[in-house]
Amino acid sequence: MATAHLSTRVRHLGLLVRKGRMGNEALWGYLLIAPMLIGFTVFFLIALIASFVLSFTSWDVISTPQWIGMDNYVRLFRDDEFVTALRNTIAITVPNVILRMIFSLALALALNSDIRFRSFYRMLFFMPVLTMPVAIGTIWKWLYDPAFGPINGFLARIGLPRPEWLSNPNTAVVAVIIVLLWSGVGYDMIIFLAGLQAIPAEYYEAAQLDGASGWRRFRDITLPLLTPTTFFLIIIAIISSLQVFDLVYVMTRVGNANKLPTIVYYVYDEGFRNFRMGYAITVAWALLFIIFVFTLLQFRLQRRWVHYG
Amino acid sequence: MNTHKLRQRLGRIGLHVVLCTVGMLFLLPFVWSVSTSLKPLADLFEVTPRLIPSQVRWENYSDVFDILPFGRFYLNSVFVTAMRTVGQVFIASLAAFSFSQLRFPGRDIIFFALLTGLMVPDQVLIIPRYIIMRNLGWLDTYQGLIIPLLFSSFGTFLLRQFFLGIPKDYHEAAKLEGANPLQIYWQIYVPLARPALAAFGFLTLLWSWNEFLWALIMTNRTDMQVLSVGIALFQGQYFTNNAILLAAANLATFPLLILFLFFQRQLVQGIALSGLK
Repeated sequence: MATAHLSTRVRHLGLLVRKGRMGNEALWGYLLIAPMLIGFTVFFLIALIASFVLSFTSWDVISTPQWIGMDNYVRLFRDDEFVTALRNTIAITVPNVILRMIFSLALALALNSDIRFRSFYRMLFFMPVLTMPVAIGTIWKWLYDPAFGPINGFLARIGLPRPEWLSNPNTAVVAVIIVLLWSGVGYDMIIFLAGLQAIPAEYYEAAQLDGASGWRRFRDITLPLLTPTTFFLIIIAIISSLQVFDLVYVMTRVGNANKLPTIVYYVYDEGFRNFRMGYAITVAWALLFIIFVFTLLQFRLQRRWVHYG
Repeated sequence: MNTHKLRQRLGRIGLHVVLCTVGMLFLLPFVWSVSTSLKPLADLFEVTPRLIPSQVRWENYSDVFDILPFGRFYLNSVFVTAMRTVGQVFIASLAAFSFSQLRFPGRDIIFFALLTGLMVPDQVLIIPRYIIMRNLGWLDTYQGLIIPLLFSSFGTFLLRQFFLGIPKDYHEAAKLEGANPLQIYWQIYVPLARPALAAFGFLTLLWSWNEFLWALIMTNRTDMQVLSVGIALFQGQYFTNNAILLAAANLATFPLLILFLFFQRQLVQGIALSGLK
């Protein structure tokens, strides 16, 4: 049906357009990529080069940038605030990525069957993915409120201490990881589900005939065949957790001080609050470098555990 | 045989119990947010807070609009999101069509260069982009909020993959009939790629509505701010009443949540699509 409809459309097109050889294909090719290419050149290529050059300068936005060579990069290593931001970011990223994989795979496995209310459950776990991070931070900040929040209200009722969640860096890390899991697990679950559905049913049938137990089937079929999906999700999860900003901006800032500054928060703070643009850009390059190292490491390790069938 | 069935049924019930419990935990923050947003101020200072408000105060929602130009934030968010979504889908699909269907010198090198855009985090580019906007005089403008974010390497990559999967026959036939590439794109490839375009469009819409950092540094004037910035900046400053603050957060979230519940399938497909290479 659709095909027939399309071929009439094609013929119809032919009637509309003057007969003749197709115009210069190459010219059309450039013309159609032109909008993308212009935008990419200005907002990516030129911005990237400018970013690189500015990382060697000291600049307060108003006066002309001063060339200071490697000073910004040297400063990174002696800057306690940067080290704190880096430590916070890693402390968020590592547990978040690991727990995210475990929980989202567990949910995907639970929903990858013919149980009733599947799409209802899927919707429940997926809702936080759709929610604005700023709103998520706002809601959870209230849930974590030390005096009047429901979390501490519950803890008090069962006789546990009431932590000052967001004003202490140690508990704030835990609090932020919980929120990241709540808001991120649904996304990975969807991709794991797609991965699970791509595993041919015959594999399981054959294993069942051989008398393999449920656990064996999971370990020998499901897990290995899911490794490419897991690999992809780990990379995405690492990159996105290394870039956490909105949540700590909303949840852990008191006045102009942040109890849990992350690297991106530090970039923002240095650039747009202290107007040290050159140094802020250098911090961003450090983030790029860290992302690069993590990703490269993953690709290196991939050979050991990712199974391409 | 019978015990096997019984065990299966018990397992199923157990699974429902676990899923229901976890589901409740996922839902609770939303429920609490709605309940708080309807509480009178006095309810917020209970040491053991209760879920049900002592009385329902709908005025918290209208108060949001009295305290802040919230209607304006809304319009800004809707406009900026609509423009970014349409723009991104259009620009990326045009490029994707060209990269996948037309031949021209340097095509693959240009495409590869474009892919480097996937690897560099925005934070490295955000300050130079800000400077470009400042030099153009585009701070606190819609152009400034929209234009720098119209060019998606990811979208180009995703849609190119999809276009490559469309049989060449259509293209060849249209070419023989003398249609030019723009017509082939618009009248054949766009209709055929509608599911992929919709999926990418939904992802863009979601990202754009929720976007925060760029909008934060681009806007100073209250009347140019979008919802995410409005809610973040005015916490503790104007919203001293948390019930009203959460009403604002709910107002920013729920329309999109409801919209996406209707289009759940497309969105889920889009996400699954973006995960497959």
